[in-house]
Amino acid sequence: MKRNLRPLVAIAALAGGLSLSVPAFAQQFDADAAENVFKDNDCHKCHHATKAKKGPALKKIAAKYKEKKLDEKEAIKHMTAGQKVKLDDGKEEDHKIIDTKDVKVQTNVARWMLSH
Amino acid sequence: MDQRTSSFSDPKMKILAASVAAVAAAGLVACAGGPTRGADTTGIDWNKVPANKLVLFYPGKSSYEWLRDPAAHKGAASETARGDSCVSCHDDAKEEQRQGAKILSGKHPLEPIALPGKPGHVDVNIQAAYDDKNVYLRYQWKGSNDIEYPYYRFDGKEWKTYGAPRLDKPVQEGKQPAIYEARMSFMLDDGKVPMFKEQGCWLTCHEGERDLNPATKEDVAANAAMKAYKKSDVRKYLPASRSNPSDWRTGKLPDELAKIKAAGGFVDLVQWRAHRSNPVGGADDGYVLEWRNFDAGKNHFASNMNAATKQPNFMFDAARFGARAVSADQVRTKDNFLIKGANAVPFDPNAGWKAGDMLPRYVLQPADATGSAADNKAYGIWKDGMWTVVLVRPLNLANPDDKALKPGGVYSVGFALHDDNITTRGHYVSYTKTLGIGAKADIVAVKLP
Repeated sequence: MKRNLRPLVAIAALAGGLSLSVPAFAQQFDADAAENVFKDNDCHKCHHATKAKKGPALKKIAAKYKEKKLDEKEAIKHMTAGQKVKLDDGKEEDHKIIDTKDVKVQTNVARWMLSH
Repeated sequence: MDQRTSSFSDPKMKILAASVAAVAAAGLVACAGGPTRGADTTGIDWNKVPANKLVLFYPGKSSYEWLRDPAAHKGAASETARGDSCVSCHDDAKEEQRQGAKILSGKHPLEPIALPGKPGHVDVNIQAAYDDKNVYLRYQWKGSNDIEYPYYRFDGKEWKTYGAPRLDKPVQEGKQPAIYEARMSFMLDDGKVPMFKEQGCWLTCHEGERDLNPATKEDVAANAAMKAYKKSDVRKYLPASRSNPSDWRTGKLPDELAKIKAAGGFVDLVQWRAHRSNPVGGADDGYVLEWRNFDAGKNHFASNMNAATKQPNFMFDAARFGARAVSADQVRTKDNFLIKGANAVPFDPNAGWKAGDMLPRYVLQPADATGSAADNKAYGIWKDGMWTVVLVRPLNLANPDDKALKPGGVYSVGFALHDDNITTRGHYVSYTKTLGIGAKADIVAVKLP
C-alpha cells in the first residue's frame, strides 16, 4: 500500500509555523486504493490526471477546490449526489454516482483526487 | 525454441503431417505458394521479427446498441454515437484487464453467465512480417487445446447434435458437454468503413445476433431483407447495411448493398479455426457487410449433414482412421478430424450404425477449397499450454470481397480470440489497432530480407 504523507507533512509544518488551519482534504490517503476505486467506477473515462477529457482534469479540480476553499466533503457530495454537470458543449448531464456508500472509501478517493 | 523444430517433434504434428501427406499422395492438394499444411514452411526466423503485446478482453454483451444506450453506457452514449473512439475514454494502461475483470465479476449487466474462473483478459503476442508475395502474422497465446467441434451422434434413430459452446443453454443445464474449437480472428478495414477506425469490431456486434438477445426464427423468417439475404438468423453486420443501424430488421436490399460493397464499405474477416481450418493448413476468408459472409469460392470445410436425408454426408474410412465413427469417450483423446481425400468416405446408411456412434459435424475439404474463400494459409500448433499460429495472407488481393494489403498501407484491425470451448460473445476482443505493412502503426509488419 502506498501512503502519501507529503501533503500532511507540508501542511502540518505550515500550520504549525503560521498558525493556519489545516484544510480537511490535505490528509493522509491511500493512493493505490483510491485510484483503484476511481478506475473501477470508470471515473477515468471522463477525468484524467492532467488533461481535460469529457470532464475537467483532476489537477484542475484540485486547483479549483483550493481556490474556493472547498473541502473533501464537497467532493464527496459531487460523487454521490448525481447532480447535473455542465459539459463543454453546453449540455447538462447527471454526474455518475460512485458505487460505494462507505464514507471512508469515498473520503480516501476525495483526498486522492484533491491531492493532484 | 525454434517453432519449426518443435512442430515436427510434436506427436500431433506428426499425425497432421501424415494426414497431409496422405492427401498430397492422393493428388488432391494444390497449395503452391503457401505453406505445406501442418508445418510452418515460411522459413521466417521469428526471433528477428519484433513482438507486440496485445491484451484482449471479455466484452460480454457490449453491443453497438448497448454502447449507445444512455442508461447502460453511462456518460458515454452520445460520445459513442457521434463516433468517438473507444480509447478516447478507455485509455488506462490496464484498461483491458480492468474491463474484462469487471464484466466477468458476476455482478455486471454485460454478462449474466459469468463463468467461474474464466480470466477477464488474455495476453497475445503478435509478430508481423511481409515479403514480395505475402503478409505473415504470428500469434502466440496461452489457452486450451480446443481442437474439437460438436458432433452428430446417432441415438438409434436419428443423428442429433452432440456438444455445444459453453454458453449454450444445454451446456449450462448440464445436458450437453462443452465442445467448441479455438479460434483466432481479425476484422480489417482500409479506411472505407465509417467509424471502424474508432470503434472496430463493436460496429458489427448487434442485438438480435446469437447470444445477444437473439432474434426468433419466426421474426427472421418474416423479415423481407433477411429473406432477400437467404439467411435464417442474424449475424454480424455493419451499420451501413441497415436503414436504422440499431435494428437488424431494417436491412437494405441487395442492390443497395452491392453498391456499398463495390465502394469498399465492408470489413474483411479472417478466422483461423483449430478444428475446421487448421488441420488442412487454412484460415477462412470472409467479410462483414449485411451478414458474416464467406468469400466467393469454396471454404476449407463444409457441413457434414445431408439436409434431404437427415444423415451425414461422410464417415471415417475405417481402414485409415481405425473405425468408421468415434464415441463420446474418444472426444479429446485423438485428432477426430474428418478430411476428404485423407480419412473420409461417403456415408453408408447401411453400415450397421449403433446408438452412440458419432461423426464430426463438418468435413474438411482441402482439395475443394478454392477461390477467394481459400486465399489464406495458416498453421497452428498447441504445445505446453500455448498456441502458436502463423497466418499467411497474399498481398494485393484483387477479389471484390477482399481488402487488399499493400506495402506502405496502414489498416485498422480488431482482433478476437475464442478459448475454452466457447463462441459468440464469450470471446476476447481488442480495441482497434493499426497494422502497417512496412509503415508506422501499432503493429508494424517488417520487410523480410
